[in-house]
Amino acid sequence: MDLRLPSKVLEHIFSFVDSNEDRNSVSLVCKSWFETERLTRKRVFVRNCYAVTPAAVARRFPGMRSLTLKGKPHFADYNLVPDGWGGYAWPWVEAMGEKYPALEELRLKRMVVTDECLEKIAASFKEFKALVLTSCEGFSTDGLAAIAVACSNLRELELRECIVEDLGGDWLSYFPETLTSLVSLDFSCLDSAVKLSDLERLVSRSPHLKSLKLNRAVSLDALGNLLRLAPQLVELGTGSFSDKLNQEAVSKLSQAFSELKELKSLSGLWDVLPEYIPLLYSVCPGLTSLNLSYATVQMPDLVELLSRCSKLEKLWVMDLIEDKGLEAVASSCKELRELRVFPSGADVDETNVAMTEQGLVTVSEACPNLESVLYFCAQFTNAAMVTIAKNRPNLKCFRLCVMEPFAPDHKTQQPLDEGFKAIVESCKDLQRLSVSGLLTDKAFEYIGTHGKKLRMLSIAFAGDSDLMLHHLLSGCESLNKLEIRDCPFGDTALLENAAKLETMRSLWMSSCCVSFGACKLLSQKMPKLNVEVIDEQHLTETGPDSSPVEKIYIYRTLAGPRVDMPEFVWTIHKNPEIGVSHLAIE
Amino acid sequence: MDQNLVDLTEKLSLSSNKIVLTSSDGDSFEIHEAVARKSQTIAEMLDAGCTGTIPLHNVTGKILDRVIDYCITHVKEDGPFEEEEEAEEKEAKKKWDAEFVKVDLETIFELILAANYLNIKGLIGLTSQAVADHIKDKTPEDVREIFGIENDFTPEEEEAVRNEHAWAFEDSK
Repeated sequence: MDLRLPSKVLEHIFSFVDSNEDRNSVSLVCKSWFETERLTRKRVFVRNCYAVTPAAVARRFPGMRSLTLKGKPHFADYNLVPDGWGGYAWPWVEAMGEKYPALEELRLKRMVVTDECLEKIAASFKEFKALVLTSCEGFSTDGLAAIAVACSNLRELELRECIVEDLGGDWLSYFPETLTSLVSLDFSCLDSAVKLSDLERLVSRSPHLKSLKLNRAVSLDALGNLLRLAPQLVELGTGSFSDKLNQEAVSKLSQAFSELKELKSLSGLWDVLPEYIPLLYSVCPGLTSLNLSYATVQMPDLVELLSRCSKLEKLWVMDLIEDKGLEAVASSCKELRELRVFPSGADVDETNVAMTEQGLVTVSEACPNLESVLYFCAQFTNAAMVTIAKNRPNLKCFRLCVMEPFAPDHKTQQPLDEGFKAIVESCKDLQRLSVSGLLTDKAFEYIGTHGKKLRMLSIAFAGDSDLMLHHLLSGCESLNKLEIRDCPFGDTALLENAAKLETMRSLWMSSCCVSFGACKLLSQKMPKLNVEVIDEQHLTETGPDSSPVEKIYIYRTLAGPRVDMPEFVWTIHKNPEIGVSHLAIE
Repeated sequence: MDQNLVDLTEKLSLSSNKIVLTSSDGDSFEIHEAVARKSQTIAEMLDAGCTGTIPLHNVTGKILDRVIDYCITHVKEDGPFEEEEEAEEKEAKKKWDAEFVKVDLETIFELILAANYLNIKGLIGLTSQAVADHIKDKTPEDVREIFGIENDFTPEEEEAVRNEHAWAFEDSK
């Protein structure tokens, strides 16, 4: 078949090729396809903002409309990445702003976004439609005002778990009366109260609004008005759920909730008083997603609520749910796919919080679609993990966080090796795993042997020796991200498996036993990796090569050394003349 | 279908002008002007004063026949005859379209080229989607084989692009 499709025809075909994977394949077919594909790719995903330069991305995909970027490593969520490390959005916004003003969407995760940045977005991109910031910081409510006032086609403004300098609630009042395109608004992480009348007017002129997530400052009373203005909502994050309302107000609010015929997702519910929980009953049967991680609801009320949520697929809740509450989930929520249980910090003795491994076992037995678990728990057993593994071989994500470091199986006092062995052996499609508790070399041997599809692995306070790291790096074929803290892993395994690091996105190690000398050697041997030593104490550079480093972050990159490193980050590019130690590399 | 068309043109008391299209290999097709106007290219020719026979040098008879079928089926859309369609009718058309593209890839390519040349919006979309469906979830090697395309990257060039995809534009989160 002699096929020569003109580029116009290719463009039409490619307009139906959407997924990143397919677009990457298509661009490798031949040079003319590469050319047409790159000019027509609209959505670009850069999973490590330092793996490629903004200029290179803009050059390759000049037609880009939507850019998704990730900055800091995951352990930044646990405050392990010092302030000032990096992950700046500015160079990206600047690069796009100059030459590619057609940008419509920016989705950033764990990045530093300044007000200047937000102002630049507002000024540069006339068709800007969506700003979604997750776990970002560096901006104030003034920056939000700049976006609100200028982006006349805005559809999405979402601030998820961001740290924002809160200068007051005025920013919301900057949305012009002519803005009627809003589909999604999430300001749940802000503290200050917005002007209620402006919020009501905004909601009432937004007929396409599907998702509204309020902050804690929006009272229960105000919620009623807002719900009446937006009965079409699919996602709702309430504000504080604790005003004392009179009977009439309660009944009006109940009516407003029952009008939410499309509601699928519910969150917020700060300070929820038990007597107001029945207000939610009318929406429960339709819910597929329920986030109670800010709601201090006690077990009996949780049982009442959850037993009405037969369509629930995603549940985030605190350990106040107890085993009994999880039993209710098991019997009522048969569609459950994802369960996250967070620590409430409640003192066990005081409030008699009784959540153990049994809760998760019960859910694993009863919910056939359960594929993603995050479970914070005081203690666990091997037997429980073996049962869970047998019940749910379809698990894709298993993150167990036994909160006491080095905690053994609380019934047998054995390490939790056998439990994790069962998980990796049985769950053949497991992609993400977090381990905790007392673990020996054996656990990592099992993970290395069986975790063939594992892409992300998190380890804390585990291990006997360097051998464990070797098992992981040599055995886990699909490993993409590895993050380790407080484990006795050191130089040998790292240097022996240096080549592996080019097949992974990143490796993080903190409070381990990696020496400065090994970091230098690794840097010299693997020039396509950025080997960053984070050294806030300033001990490393002046100490001997054998001194252990605080933290290292290693990632593959096409961009070479980054130009925005703070003084507490060392890479070999800062001091290329430093001699190599006597450590040998294979 | 034809009777409906006659009724339609009578109803709207428009001229029941017939246009003759000839293919590259000498086949002739006489069709109603409304049907011919589904092609933006032909519509422009007609507006510019062309009458009678319109020769289409780039389309074979076999393909033109199918294209005309498409135009007849979809004549009621986006034009002077646009009508509100019943859900049943919409469903029937969807099924018809699905069957229409159940042909070998070579024919789909010829159709997409014809649709592009004749500038028939709906047909361009339908055939593009059909081709795209053959591309989804395939490796570059598979796609080359299916489409009969030669790889003109050097090994180094290909490696560089693959690396860029894996390191910079990774698929998964």
